[in-house]
Amino acid sequence: MHHDQGIHLRSVCKTYRGRGADVEALRDMNLDCAPGSFTALIGPSGCGKSTAMRIALGLEDYDTGEVRIAGHPPAAATASGVTGVAFQDAALLPWRTVARNIALPLEVLGRDPAKHGHEIAKLIDLVGLKGYETALPGQLSGGMRQRVSIARSLITEPEVLFMDEPFGALDQIRRRQMNVELQRIWMESGSTALLVTHGIDEAAFLADYVVVMHANPGRVVEIIEVPFERPRRNELYSAPAFHALCDRIAKVLHGE
Amino acid sequence: MANRAGFLRSGTFRNLAILILVWEVVGRVDWIAGGALPGLSEILIRLWADRGDYPGHVWATVQASVLGFVIGNLVAVGAGILFVLFPTLLRLTRGFNIAVFALPPIAIAPILVLTLSGMAPRITLAALGVYFVTMSATVVGLSQFDTRAADVVRAYGGKDWMVMKLVRLRGAVPDILSGLRIAAPNAVLGAILAEFGGGGRWGLGTYLLGSLGRGDPARLWGIGLVATLIAGLSYLVFAVISARTLGSSRSVTLNTAIPDADDGAERSLPLRLAVIAGAALLPFFLWWAFIKLTGVPDLIAKTPLGVLDYLFLSDTSHIARAKLLAALAETLPITAIGMLAGLGFAFLLAISARMFPGFIKTFMPIALVTQTMPLVALTPLLVLILGRGTSVTLWITISVTFFPAFVLLVQGIQRVPQSVLDLPRAYGASAWTELRMVSIPAALPYLFAATRLTVPRALLGVMIAEWLATGTGLGNLLNQSRGYLDYGMIWTVAAVSVCLSVAFYYAILLIERRTLTRLGMQWVE
Amino acid sequence: MAFTINRRTFIQGAAIAGASAGLPLRARAASALTMQAAWINDAEFSGYFLAMDKGYYSDEGLELTYLSGGPDVIPESTIIAGRADLALTTPDTTIRAISEQGAKFKIIGAQYQKNPIGIVSLKKNPVNTPADLVGKTVAVPPVNTVTVEALLSLNGIDRNAVNIVPYAYDPTPLVRGEIDASLDFTTNVPYTIGLLGEEAQSFLLYDHGVTLFNDTVVVTEETLASRRADLVAWLRASRRGWDENLADPSLYPPQWEDSWFKGTGRSIDNEVFFNTAQKDLIVSGGGIFSMSEEAIEKNLAALQAVGINGTREMFDTTLLEEV
Repeated sequence: MHHDQGIHLRSVCKTYRGRGADVEALRDMNLDCAPGSFTALIGPSGCGKSTAMRIALGLEDYDTGEVRIAGHPPAAATASGVTGVAFQDAALLPWRTVARNIALPLEVLGRDPAKHGHEIAKLIDLVGLKGYETALPGQLSGGMRQRVSIARSLITEPEVLFMDEPFGALDQIRRRQMNVELQRIWMESGSTALLVTHGIDEAAFLADYVVVMHANPGRVVEIIEVPFERPRRNELYSAPAFHALCDRIAKVLHGE
Repeated sequence: MANRAGFLRSGTFRNLAILILVWEVVGRVDWIAGGALPGLSEILIRLWADRGDYPGHVWATVQASVLGFVIGNLVAVGAGILFVLFPTLLRLTRGFNIAVFALPPIAIAPILVLTLSGMAPRITLAALGVYFVTMSATVVGLSQFDTRAADVVRAYGGKDWMVMKLVRLRGAVPDILSGLRIAAPNAVLGAILAEFGGGGRWGLGTYLLGSLGRGDPARLWGIGLVATLIAGLSYLVFAVISARTLGSSRSVTLNTAIPDADDGAERSLPLRLAVIAGAALLPFFLWWAFIKLTGVPDLIAKTPLGVLDYLFLSDTSHIARAKLLAALAETLPITAIGMLAGLGFAFLLAISARMFPGFIKTFMPIALVTQTMPLVALTPLLVLILGRGTSVTLWITISVTFFPAFVLLVQGIQRVPQSVLDLPRAYGASAWTELRMVSIPAALPYLFAATRLTVPRALLGVMIAEWLATGTGLGNLLNQSRGYLDYGMIWTVAAVSVCLSVAFYYAILLIERRTLTRLGMQWVE
Repeated sequence: MAFTINRRTFIQGAAIAGASAGLPLRARAASALTMQAAWINDAEFSGYFLAMDKGYYSDEGLELTYLSGGPDVIPESTIIAGRADLALTTPDTTIRAISEQGAKFKIIGAQYQKNPIGIVSLKKNPVNTPADLVGKTVAVPPVNTVTVEALLSLNGIDRNAVNIVPYAYDPTPLVRGEIDASLDFTTNVPYTIGLLGEEAQSFLLYDHGVTLFNDTVVVTEETLASRRADLVAWLRASRRGWDENLADPSLYPPQWEDSWFKGTGRSIDNEVFFNTAQKDLIVSGGGIFSMSEEAIEKNLAALQAVGINGTREMFDTTLLEEV
């Protein structure tokens, strides 16, 4: 197993023990994301893709196997601030301003937000929210809140970036716009990214590798490489090669 | 703002004006029991004549209630935070918490006056009045936090206390504030009750006691109105504060994840039994500790063992038991009837609220006033109207029980989803059929929750009536025992009334859980 | 405010602890004395207000703290708990506590030679004797039920023939005819009844066999032993206050309108009425507070008749002799 700056899951198993039946969320899950790469985890509901990410973030225990994030066990990696995270919902604290929401990870890590004023301002600019520094989440649109969430995930200058359907709550048009922006931001940050999604086009558009998972038990069935050059533009969505790739992913997803 | 404009526009304002006019006319012609209800203008004239007396009394009452309010709430919020961080602690103190919730203030006031001095009984009674409300609001507020925001904090290695600090505490503020809003009038009423009995020069309760001998209903109503005003203002202050803060703390999207309910429940049976036993014993231990800490001599202050000794082991135990049982035989049946009457009244009101929203808007302000009027002021007058029989007991009991039950039931009926309501209507059902087939069954969990709230208050209402009107049962026994310097009985009545309230509470809880589980319904905390 | 009270409780707690440890109590501030009154401030306690205002207690080297009473305040409890050194009590309660519960009290004086408590009714529906109570409804404060039962038993009236209901200190039900009579201070409530346009009729329980003192001055045996001189000083100063007050009962209450009687909810005219009416019940040939052997005998006899076993030893007249 490599001990580099990437994300590595080796033979990870996880079973939820419920009252009636046990649910095997992950069976023998292997995942390697090379440093600086962008990986998308895709699969139907209940395939364990979110569980895999929560395990990688130390939010959830696993039964057996080994997990290394930037060379450390999950808990150590998150606590040292090498990771960044954005969830399906922006999960902003409604009583904090945009700037203070972005500063939240710094506070959790025990760093002084006052010393990072410059970085916060730069990130707000990067996600296109200049002028909204002191706005409260309730005053923002869904897309704007999602961008705050992305900025928040980058404030620690993470080596590893986790995203769990960060644009799941947005409509298709907003989502495609945000995907272009996310690609730009990620390329500037140079981090290793892991995206959990169930949008095939989103995965194909953003990722270097698409990891397809199946449920019952949750497992990886195939890893598909995405050959398109970066930076990818909106036109890519209408390219025949892109559609061919999406079809291939869909076939694997549906187990054909 | 929209509410206020609506209030003026709707019939509510007009109805209230009519109501006040009727009151004035009825009062002026001494229609009710030969002047027991004076006209509003007579009360106001009396208030003006007495204006020199009020500042000192109001100041003392405000002082005691504010101190009690602050102390009670600090303890409540602190306890709430501890309970959420250590759920075992919550289970361990459940007996204590329910006891504080259920204790009838009139049984506790004499005990506090016996064991504490000066302002302490007033402050303690005020603090006891706010503790449970704020504590539960804190626990609810801290438990229903945004799990996604908590995940963000945890994803950066944040521990439980970090989640508490950054996410849960601030998120609980609206809940805590609404708790404080309900608690504030309780503090005022607690302070007034302790002032009434506890000696001392100042306080509205003291003023009330001195004024009772004047045979001047206008004065008594005036004191009642001032007490209501203080309680109402304290309610308003927190209503405004929470309206101001609510906007910025409400989660912007709906959190679909529900926090794990039995998070940290003891798995092993012995441990669970130990916690249950601890929960049952803790109130008694605290009672014992309270007496030891205040250092009041054994003769006056009875520990749990002292009460056991008094009831079962001493030479006069059989007399004490006979008196107690006789009193219980008088108190319990009427408490059960009073509780049913209070619930029934609340239920009728809740249904009327659904069927005739206009009526309820007029009724609400009156209902609120009945909740903040000190009953000791009005009972002698109620006696004139209702006599000293069952009806006065029932009315007093209904007046102290219906309100919390009514509020809960309205909540329950309102929470029925629109789509469910639309279905019977789509088939042409009348409002009544809809109510019978959908709303009422759907509100069943709230009916149970309301019953749990009502039981301890029913006992309180009955004891007040017994003390001041009928001269029977536990309420009378408590006061007679003072004449006999029968400290054992004073403590016994207080302990028995608290234990009864707790027992009723659990009995309802048991029936509730059984029934709702069978019907596959969720219960309401 | 709470703090000072706590401090006082603490100091007295410490003093009691000191006493039990056999330490000399004089080590404490020599002259601080606390008295617990039986009710809220009214003319019933005029003598003490006057003595405090005129500095009679300071003249005797006492620094008196005066605690008002109320329905939940049991004066005896206050001295047991050590929050007061001396209390004004009803003798039946005190003697019952001594005889039945072994409370260590001594009665060292009696403010009322005749208990002012009586049965008050309206002239238009008069209750002139205990016998008239039969078939009537009488309101009695629950605390005093025992006293009315004594009256009935001493006059051979069946307890069940009288309907006793709670009295909430409000004369309105009496004036409105909801009850026929009430147990109250005859020195007090007839005034209000007069104001409400009715004429009151009353008789003292004392005149019908319940020959009791009231506002008996009670201390614990411990206080009696350790602070005898202070108690004598208190009796002397209080007697001065009472003598002067009763010399002209209408003189002083108006002067207390803005001090002792401020905000009690009662009127000054009521207090003057009260002060005047109580004069004959307080004044005694032996001086205020005196407890003649004959009077003690009567008290014990009345109590004996209702099953309360008092003895002469419960009264200590030697302090009065020193006064």
